[in-house]
Amino acid sequence: MSPAARALAGALGALVGPAGIGESEAARAAAAVDGRPPRWVVRPRTVDEAAAVVALAHDEGLAVVPRGAGTALGLGVPPERVDVVLDLGGLDAILEHNPEDMTVTVQAGVTGGALAARLAGHRQTLPLDPPGWATRTLGGIAATAASGPVRARYGTMRDLLLGVRFVQADGVITWGGARVVKSVTGYDIPKLLVGSLGTLAVLAELTLRLHPLPDAQATCVVALDGLEEAQALAATVMDSALQPSRLEVLNAGALRASNLPPAAAGVVASFGSVAPAVRAQQAALAGAAARARGRLETLGPGFWKSYDRMLALTGSTVLRIAMPASRLAETLAAAQAAMADVGDVVATACAPLGVVRVGAGQAEAPALADAVQRLRAFVAGDGGSVVVERGPVALRAAVDPWGPVPAAALALMRGLKQEFDPRQTLNPGRFVGGI
Amino acid sequence: MALSHEVASELERILGAGGLVLTPEGRLVYECDMHTFYKGAPDAVALPARAEQVQAIVRVCRAAKVPIVPRGSGTGLIGGAMAPQGGVMVSMNRMASILEVDLPNRCATVQPGLINLWLTNAVRERGWFFAPDPSSQMVSSIGGNVSTNAGGPHCLKYGITTNHVLGLEVVTGHGELVQLGGKTVDRPGYDLTGVTVGSEGTFGLVTAITVRLTHLPEAVKTVLAAFRTVVEASETVSAIIASGMVPAALEMLDEAIISAINAGTGAGYPEGAGAVLLIELDGPSAEVEDQAGRAAAMCRERGALSVSVARDEAERALLWKGRKEAAGAVGRLTAAYLLQDAVVPRSKLPQIMREMVAIGERYRLRIANVFHAGDGNLHPMICYDDRRPDELARAKDANEELLRACIALGGSVTGEHGNGLDKSKNLPLQYAEADLNFMYRLRRVFDPDHLMNPGKLLPTHPACGEGFRPQRPVLPAGTWV
Repeated sequence: MSPAARALAGALGALVGPAGIGESEAARAAAAVDGRPPRWVVRPRTVDEAAAVVALAHDEGLAVVPRGAGTALGLGVPPERVDVVLDLGGLDAILEHNPEDMTVTVQAGVTGGALAARLAGHRQTLPLDPPGWATRTLGGIAATAASGPVRARYGTMRDLLLGVRFVQADGVITWGGARVVKSVTGYDIPKLLVGSLGTLAVLAELTLRLHPLPDAQATCVVALDGLEEAQALAATVMDSALQPSRLEVLNAGALRASNLPPAAAGVVASFGSVAPAVRAQQAALAGAAARARGRLETLGPGFWKSYDRMLALTGSTVLRIAMPASRLAETLAAAQAAMADVGDVVATACAPLGVVRVGAGQAEAPALADAVQRLRAFVAGDGGSVVVERGPVALRAAVDPWGPVPAAALALMRGLKQEFDPRQTLNPGRFVGGI
Repeated sequence: MALSHEVASELERILGAGGLVLTPEGRLVYECDMHTFYKGAPDAVALPARAEQVQAIVRVCRAAKVPIVPRGSGTGLIGGAMAPQGGVMVSMNRMASILEVDLPNRCATVQPGLINLWLTNAVRERGWFFAPDPSSQMVSSIGGNVSTNAGGPHCLKYGITTNHVLGLEVVTGHGELVQLGGKTVDRPGYDLTGVTVGSEGTFGLVTAITVRLTHLPEAVKTVLAAFRTVVEASETVSAIIASGMVPAALEMLDEAIISAINAGTGAGYPEGAGAVLLIELDGPSAEVEDQAGRAAAMCRERGALSVSVARDEAERALLWKGRKEAAGAVGRLTAAYLLQDAVVPRSKLPQIMREMVAIGERYRLRIANVFHAGDGNLHPMICYDDRRPDELARAKDANEELLRACIALGGSVTGEHGNGLDKSKNLPLQYAEADLNFMYRLRRVFDPDHLMNPGKLLPTHPACGEGFRPQRPVLPAGTWV
């Protein structure tokens, strides 16, 4: 280690304590981002410590990669510089839960599971369920705008994040938004930071809106003869007064992976409400399913847990495709066709939003890259997108994992990066357009 | 500052005959929004019909360093759609069409001048509606709703405007026509749509909006309960929320409003009621049935003087009648009032209502309240006699004290009206220098010349626009420097 590097290590250690800095070969290798180990892994215990680390990195021209549970570190362009992995797992305090106001303030390193455990006794929930949500940190879910099936009813982090404390690239601790469920004071800073992949700021604390857990819930699957039929049934549900909490369309591979009855396609819906309303909605779905010649089966309460595990584990390559909901079946078919050479394709979709998740097995990067390009050509006319959520480094080096962003919007995004992180301290080069 | 002849003739060329208002009488109509305190007529009013014209206006004004102020229906309550620094006001009244209704994708694209309710009217028969419902929805424009991120009685369940905006077409302060978001969700990159909603024209001029449509609920049920005191009613609000329901709306009227309404056309609220709670539930029939029954029972358990449940649409309209007439009824109480829009955590409602009574007594002013109790969004109307300057001064002091009390309880300066000229000065109550500095810099990215609705949304710093100085962490002096 050079004297300069030793001095930096000493300075970082002075900020977070000797236990808060990892410099061993093993610690660095374990924190590698796309195979690139950081020079140091730094684990602050407080927001002030995190801010001081960022300030130091900023002044010294170091690149900082913020990290929660590490679930989504493979999202984005493989980094060219990783000096500090800023491990926010130590910021794991639930700071304030106001059951009567249905709000909670947590540090960014709190996991979905830890929060759920705390809320369950109050029959409240933070309705966010991206694959593997229980072990993911809420800061990570916010930074990656990760979502899951319940967005069909409750929206995403963008709809639930009320306020946010964050560390700017130069280490200034800043607050945006409010601690109450309704506020339009100043600009909507939480929206700016959700999905920004830690490229504008490091998220430190989140104030979130909660929802009541419904009295009763039920889930059923309808097996159908094709993707078109599945889309049509989902459309029937959407164009009705039914209020599904989840409305997923599954292809044959996804039905198989979820241990559901084999079919060409399926619709899985759940309803949450008071018991009579759940029964009534299930009956209405059964009627629609019968008219669509579908075979309905009620699923047990454990289904969504196993579905979550299936999503989290399936696919060494995962693509997220967004298209208009009216083209869902075509999109699923296009994904299957594009990935045909890759083996068994597990494709699921949040039907009301037209968001498709495609998981595929091992394959050579060029074949995957080709599939991504073909899908991008397919979605281009509809303003859709194809994002590589997970995949081999070689794939994400060969094709931009984000895909194209229209020039005028990209110019504004670059303007934001230039304004808030001109020294390229935060997660440089990993986001859209090389941001 | 009058417009130069060159700028005026260039604008006339862009807008064509009748597209530019320059006469003093013509401009006077545009000198204020519904917050008539603040007056500032623009030097010219542009009436574009197309996005290209809007872009051309911004480019001309930018080159000449002329401020630009957007205006929809002018129903804002914050001193937003007025021109304190003069310049060109861009009225969106001629851009008021529905461009597309796409029900399979549950969305519609509209021009900014479209009246909010007209969109719902266009899709209701097919089973859909546009959820944001500010009380002004019969006259306010969707562009204005986007600009202020408007709320409404039903946003307790459905969320405010931003939760329903999928995409925007905007002419930024750079003079660029930009598409942000659109029908498909999860676009890669920063959420520019999300951060532009509520930016009150300071980022640019919105020329088209893609909004989400919501399916009409199967059933709607409205419960009206009268209580002796606001505190009792507030406690009932907490109990209802704590029981796990999310009513579509939870509105409260206080004694001053009740007597004003009863003195007028009369919604027939019980005499002696200190508070009226209006609870609306919507959703699947069985759910609504169950929850309305439980809500009514909770009101009775907490000593309600009367509880009525609407049995049909006519009865429902009757229960809402008083609420809808509330703002007008205040005219019977007072010649003038200051209107607030602060928010407190719901659980602090009883506390803030007690505090409000004390503030009213201290300043010898009547404070009337009709508000969105479900989300803690207060609308105190501080009544004063505008012929007596000392009353206005007291009203302003009472307003400030009340606002500070709300913030001290963890609240927010504005819940749904927006900042404008009126509330921008209060932002430092809620935000530190670092927070305001961040917002100034954000604005600069979209409007480098500070010409888009200048003087609105953010406070003016005594030194200069960016004078807010954030604190950096103090790093220990070390050998690495």
